[in-house]
Amino acid sequence: MQLSNETMNVGFVKKVEALSGTSVRRCFQCGKCSAGCPMSAFMEHPPNRVVRLLQLGQWERVLAGRSIWYCASCETCSTRCPNKVNLASIMDALRKLSWDADGPSKESYVQLANRLFIENIRTYGRQYELRLGAAFNMKSGQFLKDLMLGPKLLSRGKMKLFHSKNKNLPEIEAIFSRLEEMRRKGEAL
Amino acid sequence: MTPSKKHIRHYSYYPGCSLHASGREYDISTRALFKALRLGLQEVPDWFCCGATPAHNVDQLLSHSLAAKNLCLAEAVEGDLAVACAACFSRLKTTQNHLRADDATRKQVETAIDGPAALDKPVKHILEILARDFGLAQLEKSVKKPLLGLKVASYYGCLLTRPPEVPDLDDCEDPSIMEDILRALGAEPVKWSHRMECCGANFTLSRPAVVLKLSNAILQSAQEAGADCIMVACPLCHGNLDIRQEGIKAKYGPPEGTLMGNIFGSDLQKGSDAEPRRETPIFYVTQLAGLAMGVPSDKLGLESIIVDPRPLLKEKQLL
Repeated sequence: MQLSNETMNVGFVKKVEALSGTSVRRCFQCGKCSAGCPMSAFMEHPPNRVVRLLQLGQWERVLAGRSIWYCASCETCSTRCPNKVNLASIMDALRKLSWDADGPSKESYVQLANRLFIENIRTYGRQYELRLGAAFNMKSGQFLKDLMLGPKLLSRGKMKLFHSKNKNLPEIEAIFSRLEEMRRKGEAL
Repeated sequence: MTPSKKHIRHYSYYPGCSLHASGREYDISTRALFKALRLGLQEVPDWFCCGATPAHNVDQLLSHSLAAKNLCLAEAVEGDLAVACAACFSRLKTTQNHLRADDATRKQVETAIDGPAALDKPVKHILEILARDFGLAQLEKSVKKPLLGLKVASYYGCLLTRPPEVPDLDDCEDPSIMEDILRALGAEPVKWSHRMECCGANFTLSRPAVVLKLSNAILQSAQEAGADCIMVACPLCHGNLDIRQEGIKAKYGPPEGTLMGNIFGSDLQKGSDAEPRRETPIFYVTQLAGLAMGVPSDKLGLESIIVDPRPLLKEKQLL
């Protein structure tokens, strides 16, 4: 089967390749990535099929699905690919494209966790685990999730009640704003 | 800041967020071990989060910028940068490699951090410092209390070896650095199948069922191989295998003690050879090494581990 540029939707594929620095087109579907993927049981499209869908121009199915959000970034696929396709980077690129388009994906918990984690960096500098867990439970509506772990972690000093102050907070905020500014001007993806 | 003379080597130190919270015993034991080995360790002032998995998952430029700024901060302290967390280690090295090779991204990052990127300081994981810088022979010579009779499953997880061009620590499919360290400490590393399988990593917040399934397989494999305990070098792996162990046992454990188990006999439920599930203490490499170096056990944060390792250590006469 020969893939035409039209079938492939080469514009989207090129965007993914630019962001990930690797080739989508080089994959010849040996399936080694999916064989070693610890998360494929949780995905509707295992990793090799994600690439195949991109090659066939069906990127909307990929972005709408759960698979990209169920990738654990364990790097097994990239390590074992005989064609040196860096699939873990492709997954990063797909998540970014989905994220920037305000996530058409059905998988919202992983995206919520990511958003709260990044917000934590901007607000506190370092992760503030108590806030991370509490905000996740409130915003996902799972009020009782892992509630019993809280006292256990607190009593062993594994969770702090208060966050630490970081002198670099203004600098961190500046990094976030400069990136936003660069993107507004079209200087960065 | 100048390194002190009493140290044979000096390192700058990036602990990472977990080591100030859920992985506090990794931080405590790293400091105690370095002191015992006469290695200097000075924390980078006001370091901040490297972005970990969530940042590179959705915004690679942000991820590189956060890591690059932390690498700049590390320049203020002398010595190679010691990193304990496997995820921070992976992020800092990924950014270093990427910005060295990709000028366009480096320029964007330099705009974001408003200054030149500092990419020359070697970033080293604790395992590397113990096995290479300090050296296995020297490590073996420094042992005061060998961990005789302790069968340990060394768990690498993902980011200490993968992708191979980033950590540059050991073989990406068949590493031995953790087993080498264990042998130097007098412990007995076991052969087992799951030492490089993923534990579920940061799904512990968003989708804990993932962690329960993957970490259960790891715990089971270690137990089948006859390990008394597991040794890790990453606070996320530790959290999943230790903090989640009770939940794993409740979900996947054999039904001993349950109503159905009592009525029908647990043998009928799981086959007659099903052993009741033991608890598996999870140690950080720095805790086991600290014990072997004769660091007092109250300086190693053993009391912070959820699955209490002290009964096992007493049984083996190591405590």
